Amino acid sequence: MDKRTGLVGPLLAAIGVGLSLLLLWQVFFWVPTEVNQGVVQRIFYIHLPAAWVAFLAFGIVAFASAVYLWLGDERADMAAKSAAEGGMIFTTIVLTTGPLWGKIAWGTYWTWEPRLTLTLLLWFIYLGYFMVRSATENPEKGKRFAAVVGIIGALNIPLIHVSVLWFRSLHPQPVVMKAEGPTLHPDMLTTVLTGLVAFTFLFVGTMILRYGLERAEARLNVLEAVS
Amino acid sequence: MKRWKKRVSGLLLVWGASVAFALPAAAQAEQLREQTLGRPYWHVFLAYAITLILVLGWVVSIARRLRRVEDRLQNDAG
Repeated sequence: MDKRTGLVGPLLAAIGVGLSLLLLWQVFFWVPTEVNQGVVQRIFYIHLPAAWVAFLAFGIVAFASAVYLWLGDERADMAAKSAAEGGMIFTTIVLTTGPLWGKIAWGTYWTWEPRLTLTLLLWFIYLGYFMVRSATENPEKGKRFAAVVGIIGALNIPLIHVSVLWFRSLHPQPVVMKAEGPTLHPDMLTTVLTGLVAFTFLFVGTMILRYGLERAEARLNVLEAVS
Repeated sequence: MKRWKKRVSGLLLVWGASVAFALPAAAQAEQLREQTLGRPYWHVFLAYAITLILVLGWVVSIARRLRRVEDRLQNDAG
C-alpha cells in the first residue's frame, strides 16, 4: 500500500475508534433515558449514524461511478467499489438495529412501511452492484454496468429521506435534519452528533484502507500478467 | 359447636390474610407484566454487538486481505 493511504486511512480509523469509545461512554453513562421509550431508545445513537454513513457511502459510489463512466479512470472505479462495500456494511447495521428497536417501540420487527421498504431496496440494489461486477465475462463491461447500477441506486437515497414526509409512515418525523433546527434534548443531540462524527471517521478511514487494498491488488495483477 | 366456630374463624383469618397479601401482589404483577422486564436491554445489547461485529469484521477482513496481497507482492518482487 502506498505511503499516503497507509498513513491517512489508519489515522482516520483510529480517530473513529476513539470517538466511538466516547460515544459508548455517552450512551451508557451520560445521556438521559428517553421518557416514552425507555432504554431501547439508545439504539438511536448507532442507528442514525449508520444510516448517515450508508447514505454518504452510496453518494460516494454514485459520484465515483459517474467519474468512471465519464473519464474511464480506474481509480474512480476502485473508490466506488470500496465505498459500496462500506455502504453494504452500514446498511446492514441499519436494517438489523432498526427492527431490534422497532420490536419494542412498535411491537413488530418488520413492517412494509415506506422507509423500511426503500432501505431494504437500497440494500438489494447494492447487492446487485456487486453481482453485476462479477457476473460479466468482460471485467470492463462489468465495471461499467456496476457504475450505472451505483448511480441509479443513489437516486433512492433522497426518496428514503423524504418518505416519512410524503407517505404515511411508522417512522417518526426527522428530529435532527430539520429546516427549523433539531428538536432533540441537547444531551441527546450531542451524543448523536458524536455518533455521526465517529462513524464518519471510521468509515472514511476504513474506506481509504479498502481503496489501498484495491490498488495493491491491481498492482499484483499487473506484476503477475508481466511475469 | 365451639370447635366448628374455631374452624370457621380460622378459615376466615386465613382467607383475609391471603386477600390482604394477594391484592398488592396482583397489582405489582400487573405492573411487572406491563414493563416487559429485561427485553429492551437485550435488544440494546444485541444492536450494539451486531454493529461492533460488522464494523470490526470489515476492518479485520481488509487487514487480512491486504497482508496477503502485500506478501504476494513482496514475493513477486523478490
